[in-house]
Amino acid sequence: MAEKPQPVRVLYCGVCGLPAEYCEFGPDFEKCKPWLIQNAPQLYPDLIQESNSNAADRVSDQLQSSSITDVTGPSGSSVPKQEPVKRLPGGKIKKKDKQEVIIEKVTRNKRKSITTIKGLELFGVKLSEASKKLGKKFATGASVVKGPTEKDQIDVQGDIAYDIVEFITDTWHDVPESAIYFIEDGKKVPAV
Amino acid sequence: MFKKFTSEEVSGQNQVKASVQRRIRQSIADEYPGLELVMDDLLPKKSPLIVAKCQNHLNLVVVNNVPLFFNIRDGPYMPTLRLLHQYPTIMKKLQVDRGAIKYVLAGANIMCPGLTSPGGILDEEVGAETPVAIMAEGKEHALAIGFTKMSAKDIKAINKGIGVDNMHYLNDGLWKMQRLD
Ligand SMILES: [Zn+2]
Repeated sequence: MAEKPQPVRVLYCGVCGLPAEYCEFGPDFEKCKPWLIQNAPQLYPDLIQESNSNAADRVSDQLQSSSITDVTGPSGSSVPKQEPVKRLPGGKIKKKDKQEVIIEKVTRNKRKSITTIKGLELFGVKLSEASKKLGKKFATGASVVKGPTEKDQIDVQGDIAYDIVEFITDTWHDVPESAIYFIEDGKKVPAV
Repeated sequence: MFKKFTSEEVSGQNQVKASVQRRIRQSIADEYPGLELVMDDLLPKKSPLIVAKCQNHLNLVVVNNVPLFFNIRDGPYMPTLRLLHQYPTIMKKLQVDRGAIKYVLAGANIMCPGLTSPGGILDEEVGAETPVAIMAEGKEHALAIGFTKMSAKDIKAINKGIGVDNMHYLNDGLWKMQRLD
């Protein structure tokens, strides 16, 4: 008689939740790397080397500038880290995200709609704070959610697309009106 | 199909009548004989079987709040990726080359050349309109559930256009919906 098959246990990434072998194609490979080095080194042998050489860099940096501490610390660094260029298959270089705020009204049920706001973080806005402010201003529910692709976005209940541009530019002066776009009927239209 | 899927798209959840429950169990058992010995664990006769109706004629089969299978209208039931990962041998497999992974994970349908290139693998037994596991070059686990538009033989012969519809893929809305409460 055949034996009952035992379920396979797949190693899912503790950061992005994908099978660990797919982190390299996931929403944010950089964020997964520390976890992968700890938990799945066999899948990404290159990472070990990379982290070793980074560590070596750090040591030599500290030797050179012993008076400055924590310049290259992994998290608390105030120096913006240079992101490695992502390459698409075929060697094309992925463009860095354009600094844009995208507003879209999504109709969920028949009557309920949600306004989603993407890209505020590109202007240094903290999404959790922004969502609080939006909820207060429009007296409605607002929350930071994982977007359908990769980025976090803010979902605000109700159709507030009309008033929101002014609120954004008034609240966060770093966001120019010219960088705000609406998605309407599947097309991207500038807010100005 | 599940690109933007969230629990808000579930328009109704119903515990199905015993007769319907039997029919669903039977068609899943027929489609996936490899699950025969674990059917009682997956869809215990005692636990209520919930069918969640969603937009676009999509149905989810939910047990203990976990979505396990889905189908469209009266189409064949397909496992969720999380379930397929546990029982990887239950479906026929097609493999895409590494270059296609990115596109599949963005929800694109699977183009014939991604399956016929050196990194791809075609199981010639696979017919048209068949649920398949989509595997990837150099990877152990499935990255998507597909529904073939043409047979593997045609995919090879025609080698143009969409060969397999991408029904469900890693990190889509259904993947993220680990539980449906
Ligand atoms: Zn990951």
